[in-house]
Amino acid sequence: MREDMLASILSDLNGSSADIEASAVISTDGLIMASLLPANLDEDRVGAMSAAMLSLGDRTASELTRGSLEMVLIKGSDGYVVMTHAGEEAVVSVQAKSSAKLGLVFLDIKRAAEAINKVI
Amino acid sequence: MVDIDYEQLMRYAKQFSGVTEQMEETLQGLYERVKPNMADVTEDFYAVLLDIPKAEPFLKDRVDSLKETHIKWLETVFSGPFDVDYVRAMYRVGDVHVKAKLPVEFMAGAMALVSTRLIAMLGTIIIDDQKRFVEAVSAVNAILGFTLMVMQQSYESSRLAEELEKFLKITGMSRTLFDNLASAYKE
Repeated sequence: MREDMLASILSDLNGSSADIEASAVISTDGLIMASLLPANLDEDRVGAMSAAMLSLGDRTASELTRGSLEMVLIKGSDGYVVMTHAGEEAVVSVQAKSSAKLGLVFLDIKRAAEAINKVI
Repeated sequence: MVDIDYEQLMRYAKQFSGVTEQMEETLQGLYERVKPNMADVTEDFYAVLLDIPKAEPFLKDRVDSLKETHIKWLETVFSGPFDVDYVRAMYRVGDVHVKAKLPVEFMAGAMALVSTRLIAMLGTIIIDDQKRFVEAVSAVNAILGFTLMVMQQSYESSRLAEELEKFLKITGMSRTLFDNLASAYKE
């Protein structure tokens, strides 16, 4: 039930913009709760790596006196990975195209994170 | 804490160091004769250690209790048994060395010192039987090598565990998250 609701939120998120290519909801321990990922991506790796990056982001923001973490953004030559908290127990990880309009992507992710937090 | 298969470690270390039942019997046969010399061997050993500037700070405030423990261990070298309990005890010694932040070379260095002194001591006990002397020296070398292997294994595991703890503290990652990450990349 809850998994279906999370999957539905991710489906809406991926459908909200053609720039978003994949997304996942992950526990802070790095385990996948729901995902819409391409077949070539390993769920376990996406989950664990995203949660680890967000954890490191938390520490970095704190250590470098940047306040509480809002998101972690990774830019590669082929696109972006954006990770953010969805409440205290979950992480949202999104992959977007290199041509993505980041402002819109951030807004969609924020809305999705709020919805996920309510479900969890 | 890492789960250790002491039985497996014992077999591996014995195979590598060449410890045989005959060697254990050789050492046990010498026990009564070497026992009175253990205090002198220990005194000599610590005299050398206390002369090493890098080692001295680790010893100065507790040298008497360390000597006591050392004598007991030396007696074990000539009494055995070199079983899983011995391996477990030596593994713990390696762990204690890490917690005391002793440099890794201390264990190998100390074993070399012990070996030299035990061989010299055996030379004073087995005077007219070269074959027996060689057997005793071989057995001592094998047991000290066996012990060193176990301690170094422990040292390595404990050092890695300490570094992992530090890494987790710095990154803010939970142990579970780290395990899940490691598991996701297991080959």
